[in-house]
Parts: sequence; structure tokens; C-alpha cells
Amino acid sequence: MLQPGQAVKVTIYLSDGATHHGAPLYSTILDFLFYRGVAGATVLKGVAGFGADHHMHASHLIEISDRLPIKIEFIESREKVDALLGKLEELAGTGLIEMQETTVAKPAQLTKSKQPLTPAHLKIEGKAQMMRIFISEEDRWKSKPLHEALVEAMRANDIAGVTVYRGILGYGAHRRLHKDKPLVSTHHGSVMLSAVDTAEKLRAFLPLVDQMVPEGLVVFSDVDIIKYAYRALETNAPKPAQE
Amino acid sequence: MKEQFTARLLRIHFGEADRWHDKPLYEAILAKCVELGIAEAVVFRGIEGYGPSTRIHRSSHWSFSKDAPIQMSIIDTEERIARLTPFLDSMVEEGLVAASTVEVIRYVRAETPAATAE
Repeated sequence: MLQPGQAVKVTIYLSDGATHHGAPLYSTILDFLFYRGVAGATVLKGVAGFGADHHMHASHLIEISDRLPIKIEFIESREKVDALLGKLEELAGTGLIEMQETTVAKPAQLTKSKQPLTPAHLKIEGKAQMMRIFISEEDRWKSKPLHEALVEAMRANDIAGVTVYRGILGYGAHRRLHKDKPLVSTHHGSVMLSAVDTAEKLRAFLPLVDQMVPEGLVVFSDVDIIKYAYRALETNAPKPAQE
Repeated sequence: MKEQFTARLLRIHFGEADRWHDKPLYEAILAKCVELGIAEAVVFRGIEGYGPSTRIHRSSHWSFSKDAPIQMSIIDTEERIARLTPFLDSMVEEGLVAASTVEVIRYVRAETPAATAE
């Protein structure tokens, strides 16, 4: 299993037409890597290229080109690559093999790890702030409803949670008042978003609110978070004997 | 345009069936807010709840009940809110008024000729 840290990335350049005992060469090499337990490999098909023979191979030529470039890439530990290299050189024939030092930030996993990384926003408790944003339902941001865009923006910024409420009546900064018939112009589309997170997180989000909300009211108040439970964490925890 | 100030947030809870004279209470309170020039007032209808009388407010399609819980959020400076509260005392016969001090940022779109024509 590949571990995070130093590793080697191997790239093998082949021609699409190359065969090995009647089978396409790339599939022979892929099989070889598979059965030798390499963590993963990818075959990429080029659209044009040239190799040692300096013949241009391109897919747009009238004649059907069967010699397009093929690239096989895989990443493994230095020891494993050294063990495979001899056989690979033999299989690649005239093709080029390139190696480069690389760093594995996160290896691929078969299944999600049992202990999921707890997102930063799930660790809030105690003193926090509530941010309420009063806007109009008709407000838009880049072709989508503003309240939807704000929810997406908050999600992208790991704000702990947000709920959108639709008012049945209202007026405010986001609605111009009709002087003689005050209630007529106010009948539709007051929307309130209510988000809770630490003061720092919400303040850090404010510049985005500045950009996105052309008209409206943003209200901050201090709150205490009594409980913040995250269901995905609970389901991974051992289940109690009875409900 | 952006302005920032400290304000009061009032949340008033009552039922949708509550009335003030000949109209729904929330419309009456909203009209009062308009009259007093309150900055922001929004009425929300809840899907279920109960209040001081412990009757369950529920908006159900089956019973055609019109007594869903109503929550109004009203925001303005302390002085303006103070001018509203005496009216609330007489208007809200049964309900709950919660107040908190909040920090407010108000965004106002610069008036353009097109916007005023709207």
C-alpha cells in the first residue's frame, strides 16, 4: 500500500500500434503492473506526437493512424519501482521510460477510512455568533437566487450551518417602500438566512457578503452553542444496544 | 453603500389566527412598523409550535387550521424599537416578545433612475 511521503512517478511512452505477443503492449504492461501489486496505473492516449523515429503521428491524418502516442503512468515507492524496472525496460522495447521523484500527499483508499477527518467546522462549541442576512427572494447573484448562492458560498467556506427562511410578509433595506400603499409592494419574497459559527469565521466570510449582497441587512448576535451533533459521525460510532 | 451600527432585534411570537381589530395581527404590527419607519420587519410562518397558552399551533391542510405559529423579526436602533414596544404591549394579547442587542450591517443600493421607475 502506498504511503504518504516520498515516492517515484514512472511514465512509459509507447506507440498505440505496438504489440507484445499479439496483445496491445500497453495492456501487457498494465497487466504486469496489476499482478505485481502496483498501487494504481493509468493509460493515457495522446492525440499527436513523435518519438525516436521522428515520424509525426497524429489523429487528424487522413490515413487511420495506428501509431498514436500512449503513456502509462504509475506511482510507487522507490524499492518497488527498482524491483519492477528490469522487466519494464524489457517490455517497453523501443519506448522511453521516465522517472521522477514525487510526494504522495494522500494515497488512494479502497474505502473511506473508518475515522473520517472531522471538518474544522464540526468542532465548535460554546461562545459563537449568529449571522442573519435579510434579503429579497428575487435578489440574484450570477444568474441564481442570491440566497442559494449565499448558502453555497457558506458551505464552501465551512460555515457550520445555515438555514433559509421565507417570510410571508415584510419590508426592509432589500425592499423599497411604496409610500401610499405600504403593504402592497411588500407582499413577496422576504428571505432570511440564519448561520451560526465562531465570530472569526463569520467575520472572515463578511467580505464575500459585501460583494454578493447589493441591498439588505446583516445582523450579528452572540449565541451559545449548546449542542452541535453531526449524524455521519454518530453512525460510525458503535450503536447503542437499543434505540 | 454600507453602514454599520448597533441595533435591537425584536422577535415576536404569536399565532396566525391572532387579530387586531379587523386584520391579522402580523399585518397590523407590520403596518405600525411602516408608520414608525422601522428599518426591517419580516414575518415568518412556522410549521408547528406552541406558545403561552400551550395550544399547539399547527398549519394542517386536513383541518384547514389557520393558526400556524408566526414569528416576526424586527430590527432597528434602540430608540426606534423603544417607540414600537408600547404599541406591542397593547396589540399582542397572547405571545412572546424577545429582544437582543445585535450588530448590524446595512447594504443600500445606490438609487438609480431605473430603480426608482420600478
